[in-house]
Amino acid sequence: MRSIQRRLGFGLIGVLLGAGLLLAQSTFWMLDAGLRRYLQDDLREQAEALLTSLARGRNGVQLDEPRLPGVYQRPYSGHYFRIDLPGESWRSRSLWDHALTDSSTTGLQAGLVDGPGDQRLLLYRADYRRFGQTISISVASDYTPILQAYRRVQWVGCLLGLGVLVLVVLLQRLTVRRALRPLEEVRRQVEQLQQGQRQALDPGVPVELEPLVAQINHLLRQTESTLQRSRHAVGNLGHALKTPLAVLSSLAARVELAACPELQASLQEQLAQIEQRLARELGRARLAGEALPASHFDCAAELPGLFATLAMVHNRGLALDWQAPPGLRLPWDREDVLELLGNLLDNACKWARTRVSLEIAGAPEGWVVRVDDDGPGMAAEFRGEALNRGIRLDEQVAGHGLGLAIVRDILDAWHGRLALQDSPLGGLRVAIELPARQEAS
Amino acid sequence: MRLLLVEDSVGLADELVTGLQRQGYAVDWLADGRDAARQGSCEPYDLMILDLGLPGKPGLEVLRDWRAQGVATPVLVLTARASWAERIEGLKAGADDYLCKPFHPEELQLRIQALLRRAHGLANQPQLEAGGLQLDEARQVVRCGAEDIELTAAEFRLLRYLMLHPGQLLSKGQLAEHLYDGETERDSNVIEVHINRLRGKLGRTAIETRRGQGYRFAGVR
Repeated sequence: MRSIQRRLGFGLIGVLLGAGLLLAQSTFWMLDAGLRRYLQDDLREQAEALLTSLARGRNGVQLDEPRLPGVYQRPYSGHYFRIDLPGESWRSRSLWDHALTDSSTTGLQAGLVDGPGDQRLLLYRADYRRFGQTISISVASDYTPILQAYRRVQWVGCLLGLGVLVLVVLLQRLTVRRALRPLEEVRRQVEQLQQGQRQALDPGVPVELEPLVAQINHLLRQTESTLQRSRHAVGNLGHALKTPLAVLSSLAARVELAACPELQASLQEQLAQIEQRLARELGRARLAGEALPASHFDCAAELPGLFATLAMVHNRGLALDWQAPPGLRLPWDREDVLELLGNLLDNACKWARTRVSLEIAGAPEGWVVRVDDDGPGMAAEFRGEALNRGIRLDEQVAGHGLGLAIVRDILDAWHGRLALQDSPLGGLRVAIELPARQEAS
Repeated sequence: MRLLLVEDSVGLADELVTGLQRQGYAVDWLADGRDAARQGSCEPYDLMILDLGLPGKPGLEVLRDWRAQGVATPVLVLTARASWAERIEGLKAGADDYLCKPFHPEELQLRIQALLRRAHGLANQPQLEAGGLQLDEARQVVRCGAEDIELTAAEFRLLRYLMLHPGQLLSKGQLAEHLYDGETERDSNVIEVHINRLRGKLGRTAIETRRGQGYRFAGVR
């Protein structure tokens, strides 16, 4: 899953790390260069002091040892020198048995050189002309304490930097979460829309989200009105075609035609076919399917009306009952659900002897609908056939096997599944599994 | 039995009126919703057949008007709008039964018969039975014991009305109002003649005369 939060986090960490390291390293370099420049002056003064302590003695040039500072006498003191004369070379006592590295250039040496006892030395060399000969003086001082100090500073700096980084990232998460809260709210509302718990998105959002929310609401309204319009048009078409069909049916049943029973039967059969086809296609055209995300079916509000209608249509003392968890709402269009349940129950009422029962219940991944009757039921070997053959279960009773075909169309649109089973009431059970609506299917 | 048919398609209305008259109903036909709303609430119909797609005023509104004015006459809604959502809406507006177009003429006949029986407290009878008589509405024959008695169209209409109101006192005026449509000349002597013919076929005691009040169907027991 791609998250804005995570992306912002990674971006920030990258930038902070890069900038921090660059800053720390360049500061370190500049500090080091400055320090070395300072030490270079110091070393040059030491070299010049050494030069002044050279004197011409009885055996040529001599070093006035007692005048030298004590640091050159004490072994490993951190201050060293070497004086090269043609044919002669002196070094400080502090070097003990370590030989100071030869340097090819004058001035401060670019790198550090090895000193006695693991020391790292900053080396300075200067050439002078004195007493008619070239005198090369190398002075070195121990750089190790400074290196150690650097390391300490680096450690502390690293820890501090890390702390600051964590703090900044945490603060950034907080800020981002606060800034994205309206987005999260919209996401939640879209989810509610999907589950049919909401008709439109709340328009009170930050200005950045306003066009999005307005567009979604506009689309919702447009889809709904398009559906209404097409349903209305389908209704009108149905009305326009069915009235003449009713006239034709009535004409075909006339007494005058009873004299030619074959003609009459043929007419009636053709009319019945037109009627079936028309009803099926009009029914299909009416389906909202999953076009409307904001639709819902409130069981407690709609089922009593449906059952009253069924009781009116099947006025033969059937006991009709329904069970659904209180407050259950199915996330599909009201008319679609009514059509599905109406057709299933209508079919059950045609077959039932005394009782029809409907149960709607939540399942782990959606809902189950069970319609039971205490009619004659259906032998198991016919069930598969009945399902495969375009479903004509109620053919013998009401003359057309439409109900379940429409049920099939609705279930196809919802990705639902239908199964025929034995009912505990003794007849047939139609069991339907409805998956929860996918967010983007 | 006097019916009001409200249907805007002339072709269908012609067919229905002819069929219904053949079955012994007196039928008034209206095509406009506004006329239907007015006439349905002042004429004493026994049943009203209402199409929902009407000019002038939508059928559902006509139905709501009738019910709001306290008209309790059974209403059979006839419509091409067959979805369950629309059926439920029709029921809520006060319909007693719902028949979707296109329909078989016999289906309409059966629904009308059932609705009339139900409205007179004789629900769940396959045939109209009252006072020891069984009326076969399809063949227009009355069965008395083991014997089938042939009836003329006028006798059938009168007997059906009497059998739907067993034991009730019915004036000549009331009988005339319910047996003839709005356009037929109503002559109370004709009713007297038919009553006498029925007595001839069913026995003198089947229909009692209350002087100055009217008739009462007593049955043949």
